Amino acid sequence: MPLRIFTLLCAVYFILIGTVFAGDFDADFDADFDDTFSDDDPASEILIADPLEPFNRGVFWINDKLYFYVLKPVAKGYRLVIPRPARVSVGNFFSNLASPIRAANSLLQWNFRGFGTEVYRFVINTTFGIGGLFDPAKSVAGVNKSSEDFGQTLGYYHIGPGFYLVLPIVGPSSLRDAAGSFVDSYGDPLRYADLSTKEYLAIKLLDAVNRLSLDQDTYEGIVADSLDPYLFIRSAYAQLRKAQIGDSTYDMNMFEAPVFDNQLLDPIDWFGL
Amino acid sequence: MKKIILSGLLALLFATSSFALPQPQIRVKQMVDSVLDVLKRTDISDAEKQVLVSGRMQSYLDMKSISRRTLGPYWDGATEEQRERFALLLVQILEGTYLHRMDDYGGGATDYLKQRVKGHKAIVDTLVHSEGLEIPVQYKMVYEDGDWQIFDLVLEGISLVKNYRASYGEIIRRKGLDELLTMMDDKIVEMKKPR
Repeated sequence: MPLRIFTLLCAVYFILIGTVFAGDFDADFDADFDDTFSDDDPASEILIADPLEPFNRGVFWINDKLYFYVLKPVAKGYRLVIPRPARVSVGNFFSNLASPIRAANSLLQWNFRGFGTEVYRFVINTTFGIGGLFDPAKSVAGVNKSSEDFGQTLGYYHIGPGFYLVLPIVGPSSLRDAAGSFVDSYGDPLRYADLSTKEYLAIKLLDAVNRLSLDQDTYEGIVADSLDPYLFIRSAYAQLRKAQIGDSTYDMNMFEAPVFDNQLLDPIDWFGL
Repeated sequence: MKKIILSGLLALLFATSSFALPQPQIRVKQMVDSVLDVLKRTDISDAEKQVLVSGRMQSYLDMKSISRRTLGPYWDGATEEQRERFALLLVQILEGTYLHRMDDYGGGATDYLKQRVKGHKAIVDTLVHSEGLEIPVQYKMVYEDGDWQIFDLVLEGISLVKNYRASYGEIIRRKGLDELLTMMDDKIVEMKKPR
């Protein structure tokens, strides 16, 4: 008799669990599939409003020329002089420096896991990674960056992008995201490093050129493959930001993924949790 | 009694495992591998590669749905001839774009993270590794004509079909469908030139 009750309980348990999982699965699945997959006729949609299109196209044109005739050649020269590992380290350094911005924005979105990730990465990479030049938090412990910015934080609180903006040099943005970048700039440690404006701009330029030198001709690819690069980038930007604000499926994280193969860098191990 | 429960459980186990076939993930892997095979060859020119890949990719793509959904609201207003021409042009643009991307990420190992199947729809999540970067690539698929067909490619949250629909829609709205088809024609000629 006890056995029968036990099996009955087991059966009920599994049915319940099964339905719970099925429910989550269905909702997630449908959300991921999106309307492009619905069986009804897909409606036309505007991914982002663009009332300033003529102005934006003008800035886009200037940026395009700036890219092909100034920034790219500079980045190419830089690429010839500085070997790749050094450029990766420069990139790591700037990325590590921006950790406080990502950490603060994670916190503002009640994303404690993201906050923990960023604090962990900052501590590990600043110490073991020699001031952020290396990224052992990722290369050894497999903990990825939690890319959050204030534009995403605003998006988290259901503030839409407003309208599309193309900013000089910076490129695609929106009213919300441009305001977000402005707020984020106050979280940039370089701002408080007692630099002259010239020095600050020079460092920012180095960051940009370095980033470009590591890029695999993404922009060239878009220009080569799309009928109207302006429209293509606009929709891509709108979609990318929307995806970033939603839950990231690919957030491999220190608390959930089988990431720690090195005991040395395992905080769970340090605290004996 | 115990035996009955046990055999019942076992039967259930086998039933669920045979459910999973044929797997969309395997289809994606087949396509990625066959495209990479062509890209890795050094004995043929870029133009020849394009022709080879074109033949291989078409059998994996559900071009009918892709082109219908890319045209979106303009599909109904198009003539049969325009629809066919559009599908023909779009497949070439998609292949060219995919080829260029794969070339850029050249030799990047692909991790097959997971697949989800619901009815005749499936989502396959992959992660492409390339020079220290990890690019999430998602394949959306439908089961049609006895096989899983790719319906959309989502790179870092950016759906290609959605992107094409938004930008092509704008072009049609301003210049008309025929002008779009001409632009696509010109683009394909341009894409086929060696980079």
